[in-house]
Amino acid sequence: MVINILEIIISPVLAFIIGIFFMGLFRKITARLHWRYGPPVIQPFLDLIKLFHQQGFSHGPVFDLGIIMALAGSIVLILFIPFGGICPISNSGGLLVIIYIMLFAPLGIALSGGEAANPNISIGISRKLILALGYEVSFLLALLALMTYYNTISLVDIVEAQDNYKWALFSPLALSGIAYFIIMPAMLGIRPFDIAGAPQEISTGPAIEYGGKYLGLFNIWHALSMFVYIALFVDLFLGGGSNPLTFFIKMLVVFILLTFIHGVFPRFRIEQAIKYLWKWPVIISLSGLILITVIR
Amino acid sequence: MNLAQLILISLCGAFLTYLLGKASSRIRDTFAVFISLLLIIPLFCLYGKNEEITYYSFLGLPLILKITPLSWLFAIAVQTITSLSVIFSLSYMKGKERLDFYYLMLLLVNTGMLGIVLSADLISFYIFWEIMSWSTFLLISYNRGPALHAGMKYIVMSIIGSASMIIGILSLYVNCGSLDFVQIASFIPRTSSGYTLFILILFCITFGIKNAIAPFHTWLPDAHSEAPSPFSAVLSGVLIKMGTYGFILFMYTIAGLNIIINIGGGSFHYLISILAAITIIFPTFIAVLQDDAKRLLAWSSIAQVGYIILGIAIGTGLGFVGGVFHFFNHAAFKALLFLSVGAVEYRTGTRDLNSLGGLIKKMPITFFCALIGVFGLIGMPLTNGFVSKWLIYKALILGEHPFLAFIALFGTWGTIIYSYKLIHNIFLGQLPEKFSNVRKAPVTMRIPVIFLSLVVVVFGILPGIPLKIIDTISASFGFQPQDIQIWGIASETGVLNMVNIFAAIFAALIFVWLLFLMGRKKINIAQDDSYAAGAYVPKDKYNYTVDFYKPLSGMIKPYLRDFVDDFYLWLADVIRTFSDKTRKIYCGDLGYYISYIVLFLAVLIVLKMGLKIW
Repeated sequence: MVINILEIIISPVLAFIIGIFFMGLFRKITARLHWRYGPPVIQPFLDLIKLFHQQGFSHGPVFDLGIIMALAGSIVLILFIPFGGICPISNSGGLLVIIYIMLFAPLGIALSGGEAANPNISIGISRKLILALGYEVSFLLALLALMTYYNTISLVDIVEAQDNYKWALFSPLALSGIAYFIIMPAMLGIRPFDIAGAPQEISTGPAIEYGGKYLGLFNIWHALSMFVYIALFVDLFLGGGSNPLTFFIKMLVVFILLTFIHGVFPRFRIEQAIKYLWKWPVIISLSGLILITVIR
Repeated sequence: MNLAQLILISLCGAFLTYLLGKASSRIRDTFAVFISLLLIIPLFCLYGKNEEITYYSFLGLPLILKITPLSWLFAIAVQTITSLSVIFSLSYMKGKERLDFYYLMLLLVNTGMLGIVLSADLISFYIFWEIMSWSTFLLISYNRGPALHAGMKYIVMSIIGSASMIIGILSLYVNCGSLDFVQIASFIPRTSSGYTLFILILFCITFGIKNAIAPFHTWLPDAHSEAPSPFSAVLSGVLIKMGTYGFILFMYTIAGLNIIINIGGGSFHYLISILAAITIIFPTFIAVLQDDAKRLLAWSSIAQVGYIILGIAIGTGLGFVGGVFHFFNHAAFKALLFLSVGAVEYRTGTRDLNSLGGLIKKMPITFFCALIGVFGLIGMPLTNGFVSKWLIYKALILGEHPFLAFIALFGTWGTIIYSYKLIHNIFLGQLPEKFSNVRKAPVTMRIPVIFLSLVVVVFGILPGIPLKIIDTISASFGFQPQDIQIWGIASETGVLNMVNIFAAIFAALIFVWLLFLMGRKKINIAQDDSYAAGAYVPKDKYNYTVDFYKPLSGMIKPYLRDFVDDFYLWLADVIRTFSDKTRKIYCGDLGYYISYIVLFLAVLIVLKMGLKIW
């Protein structure tokens, strides 16, 4: 019981530290790839302290509630995702609950932005929801392949089944894993899929009206969601980790690969992104799922 | 009070309401609310009882009313939604014409639905089915104009369904000799599987039309959007679910689980599941393209019905429980959404998503209730819609139907897209100048909406209450019972603990809220302050809501034409042309008629003499 409560407190804190560290590293690596020097790695953390001391403004109750709901959703999500043996409440519904708790964040931000009535936000939200529709196809196909292959809906069981280096990525599930990796930039909203927040076109879209602590909360959410999607990939396809350290190293490798993609690609337009997402990842993940249903 | 008296009170109540309306509209309104609420009490007391009554005998066939756990659940849902709809009607329909008629028909529909779920033989079933169908037709076309067309579409399809049911009833009467459900149920296993399939298909057409399963869905979008809003709630919440009731009745009470799973090598229930999956995916994306709030909800109803049938038809205990629970939940949140949109329409006079906006400032309670409804529709955790969808998905995944599970899951993202459009375009964004003095909804409109949102949330956190009842139903059909706890489902293949999830989300919300309070105090500013930064912005709509998903709708629109509807309209057109041509032979000239007779006789003589066919 005590250990359980301790885990509930520790895992969001760890996720926050790793997420913020990743955000700093992300800017640094991208800068070095672009032959710039880049900000220090702890810059996002310093920004957070600054933001919570600045004055924010609000447009109404839903403007506040939405961003609170988004961040709370991400925190709950972390409790469901095994982090190298730490997994406080994974036993309450499994992967299907995770898919649904993932909805809190985009919906919360969409509702919050909706009340601000800024055209940039509307465009950003519209793009974000359409983009999600694009990547969700392959995401669901990949998850279903996993759930069918291991015949369980519990994430902990899936991680356990991959013990002793029987990683899903090197099993018949490889195709699903590849498809998941291809759509990950879209899930994280980094290039070539940073359409929803496109800073040069729609001034960061949904985040534009946030200032002060609102932007602070938004940044924390961003850090946590970065953690969640990468951790999920590690759990699903790279066999999780026997302890938090190996888990973190796996995450770091995936994260650096994603940063390289971000560093060198230009941005898709939204129609191009949908066309791309509904083509290659879907073909790969669909053949993955068909393969699984055939060999089972 | 026995069942026959219950139906009789309901029927007399409807006509009494009509007569009272001639005296005073106030008494009529009070009485309508009274009678519909009153009936909930005896229905509630019937829980767990197994009462049966033979109330009449027709051609030597007994007409029976009977209550089972399944019919109890449906009856409670029907009576609750109708009562709320009557309460909502008080202010929504105020000042409209032909109100006595409206209330009469609304209560008659209620009687018809109660009769359907309580009857235990096919003759009573058919009679109540027709009472319901015809009064529904009159209510759909209540508004005249385009509503007449919608009603006509509905009744034509409904008659086709009834005809199919009549053929089934007659065939069963000839072959089985009895129309009592118990007798038929014992007759079906003795007959050939081909005949069983024939009967099942006949009745599936009837129920499919009422339930609006593809390809029989075409009447629904018109009917739901043209009917008066309180009735749309009944229509979408419970009336189309009479088809679901019929499906369950015929598949599991009459045919039985074994026959359904094995008939045609298992292809029958699989085919229905595939139809249900088609019913989920296309209507969901057609809903994304709609600009009329009620039409959007109507398409969404079709899609959600797909989930219900998918759960029921898949043939596992988990799926069945999920499907029936989703029926119950859909009744709650879809009625809630129709009533909310009705309240908005009542206050603003429009339901065009492109011209509304910003109403959260004027109708906050309606907004929050609609938000809960939308969350239920999407299936967000902590709403009842989540639990039922979770059950259906789990049944599909563990039953090794990954592709059906994919369609069901993917439909959820479509649901998010249109739900957000609904909420955003009505309540968020900019408030147009012309709605600046809209007032909040009247109290009789807020009570039903608040009640339904409570249902959505309470059964989302404590799903065990309804699931326990549904589990007894599914166990009585021979499914394996589930381990239902008050907080969810406990089983080895995956636990669902809603109370844990609730506690986690609640704690996280409190934590983030405290974090929010820790930061420097916020200030409230006007909507265009930071966007315009002091510069001039056009007052009426600088925000972008029209054609909200333009990049998407441009891509998917060509694939989403309702070909089925086009086909039916084409068929109707062909029949009309053909009938027009045939009509020309009746020219009204006696000489022609005599020559027809002579010609006919001549043909007969030629046949007799020349061909010697008899």
